[in-house]
Amino acid sequence: MDLLKSYLTAVKRNLPRKQREDILAELSEELRSQIEDRERELGRPLTDPEQYGVLMQHGDPMVVARRYWPERSRSLAIGWELIGPELFPTYAFVLILNVCITLVTVLVALWVYHVPMAIKPFFLPVGIQMVCVTGIFIVLNMVRRKFTVNFLCGPADLASMMPLQRWYSISGLVFCGVLTLWWLAIPRFQSLVLGPAAGELELSSSVWHRYYLPVLLLFLAGMAQRATTLARPHWNWLLPTSRFVIDGAGAVLMFFFPSHALVVVSQAAADPAQAEKLAATANNWLRWGLFGPWLWIYLAVSSLVYAWYSRPFFRRFLRSRRNRIGRSHAVNGLI
Amino acid sequence: MSNGSQVTSELFENLKLELRRGCLTLAVLTQLRTERYGYTLRKALADDGLEIDEGTLYPLLRRLENQGLLVSQWREEDKRNKRFYRLSPVGEQILEQLLKEWLSINTSLNRIMQEA
Repeated sequence: MDLLKSYLTAVKRNLPRKQREDILAELSEELRSQIEDRERELGRPLTDPEQYGVLMQHGDPMVVARRYWPERSRSLAIGWELIGPELFPTYAFVLILNVCITLVTVLVALWVYHVPMAIKPFFLPVGIQMVCVTGIFIVLNMVRRKFTVNFLCGPADLASMMPLQRWYSISGLVFCGVLTLWWLAIPRFQSLVLGPAAGELELSSSVWHRYYLPVLLLFLAGMAQRATTLARPHWNWLLPTSRFVIDGAGAVLMFFFPSHALVVVSQAAADPAQAEKLAATANNWLRWGLFGPWLWIYLAVSSLVYAWYSRPFFRRFLRSRRNRIGRSHAVNGLI
Repeated sequence: MSNGSQVTSELFENLKLELRRGCLTLAVLTQLRTERYGYTLRKALADDGLEIDEGTLYPLLRRLENQGLLVSQWREEDKRNKRFYRLSPVGEQILEQLLKEWLSINTSLNRIMQEA
């Protein structure tokens, strides 16, 4: 009944707080009755995939929970739904948190730089936060309505049985393929990184030699993972575990990569003094822009998120290993 | 062409949903003249030809209870706690009125269909 417990936990998260326990007890009773009826029909306990079938027939946990909310529960809508009631509490929490952090940051900045206190400096950052958070949640809501990516937000123990959808693997493969082609083309077409300054500047060969191959290998590993999940949608353990490793390794690489001077003056530069200045600007742009701290922070966070998604698969692996060892001990005991 | 048939099918589904919504309430209230718990109620409705999925039934039961038409009680049966529902006195009165209304609509509709 691990799957049932996991499913009910996922439903519980989205139920109205006051009735949560009551609804859950009733839902649990209904599902147990269904499973028992099915077991009586078959004359044996249901296997995990069969239990999964019963639970999936019952519906996506978020959708099931949504039906228990009053029709006029809190949501964001202008004629049509922008953020549904199941996402609204999280949206409100994230928005309030972000706005509070922004207010405190602006306040500290004003104090540190001795800027006279006024309301005006707060408007733009708070406005940007509100627009960005609202935009992200509108997209999330749209994705939830259009597609079901149960694997990423569904019940933990059920995740191991949910096949990955093809559109997910294909879009990842295309994105990763474009990035790999871009990286492969850089040595031949340095303007892909340096832009119009490519004649005056060139990529530092010692730094690029050290990092080029490891980054390329990470891109290729990413492509291989997406191609494999496209061919084998049921191998859904591969996505979180490999993204955990690939993004983690990428975060380490990108942490060290921009600390070197990535661009040097080309020997063919017409005006070496001017090219020096240009190289300093380009290095700054690469260090704080294209390969800036945002990249390794993003990869590290992504790696941690995928580590979180890997948990049920890892637990399942340990459980099956324990069962196998237990069975082999039992056989040895019999012998 | 296929877009047109999709629109028609969506429209039909929406209208069917609207039609079913009222009928389901009436069917559930009628079945709950006898005390039942959710699972047996769903089976009883299905046996009478009215399939209703649990995702619709349980929120409906809760709504009807909040409106005072049903009363419920947690009780142990077969070593498990189950929530039993039945009609409340107000529910009985309203069901009677609703059934009269239903019969009247049904008679009118039959007459209209015969005339057409």
